[in-house]
Amino acid sequence: MRGFTEMRYWRRRHELDLEAELKASRPQPSPDFVRRLEAEVRESGRTRVGGRVRVAFVGALTAVMLMALAGVGGVGYAASAGRDAAVSVKRVVTPGDVVRVLKKSPAIDQYAKKPTKKVKKVKKAKKGKGAKGRVRARTRPPFTG
Amino acid sequence: MLRRDPLANPEALIRRVYAYVAYRVGDGPDAEDLTSETFERAIRYRKSYDPKKGEPVAWLLGIAKRCIDGRGPMLELASENLDEPVASDLEEDAVRRLTVSRAVGALDERDRELIALRYGADLTARQIAELLGARTNAIEVALHRALGRLRETFGSDAESEPVRKREASR
Repeated sequence: MRGFTEMRYWRRRHELDLEAELKASRPQPSPDFVRRLEAEVRESGRTRVGGRVRVAFVGALTAVMLMALAGVGGVGYAASAGRDAAVSVKRVVTPGDVVRVLKKSPAIDQYAKKPTKKVKKVKKAKKGKGAKGRVRARTRPPFTG
Repeated sequence: MLRRDPLANPEALIRRVYAYVAYRVGDGPDAEDLTSETFERAIRYRKSYDPKKGEPVAWLLGIAKRCIDGRGPMLELASENLDEPVASDLEEDAVRRLTVSRAVGALDERDRELIALRYGADLTARQIAELLGARTNAIEVALHRALGRLRETFGSDAESEPVRKREASR
């Protein structure tokens, strides 16, 4: 029965172009399959594009903030703050006996703290051992009445 | 700089890839599996797509071809396993599709590949040549011959079918 239908069909279409027939008879996927696969492909693309958009947004936001800060001198302020922090850290880390002259100016020459001579305390002679033997220094003359 | 997404318009691509696969392995669940597999690979390797090397459909068909070849001879043509359709409950369009599918399935592997690329995936002879690494002229000649063999297959199939049926019923 099927063969008969086919034969009738092909006899009727004998003169027609085989190429057109092949294109017209192209196998079609089921609508459900197309819908499912399409959703899957779109979903994967969205995740990828979403990630890119996020990165681009963060970059743009950073650039805008930097431009705004530069407008009010924030960049210079941040740079000097950073420099000060570095100096502070350096001061802490550098050993104390090493003296470094950071700046030299006439004002520093005139008003800088001059090194003072250390006066050596003269130790008084101990009379005996312990606290009892110590002589208390007199700060005022003795009371005479 | 954002690169062009090869899967930006998936529906048309799905239809073309499916048509190619179905002409190669037969319409049905196997064709759907292979089409899904093709798109899974495409999603995984979408960054490797280079627009300079061709259209997205050609790239996808290359993947589909590798998927089919990777399955090897285990895969039988689904149209050979189809139940015999009854003309009374089939529309003319369905009969036509089935007849074409059976005729294409009767061709050898090479002819089927060419027919699938040309009339399933709707590629031009030049695109097929690029995909298969052959000359455009050679592809045009091969296509012409494949069509000739297909025409012969149609004739013999349609005429021998009633005889076979009669013999089977005896």
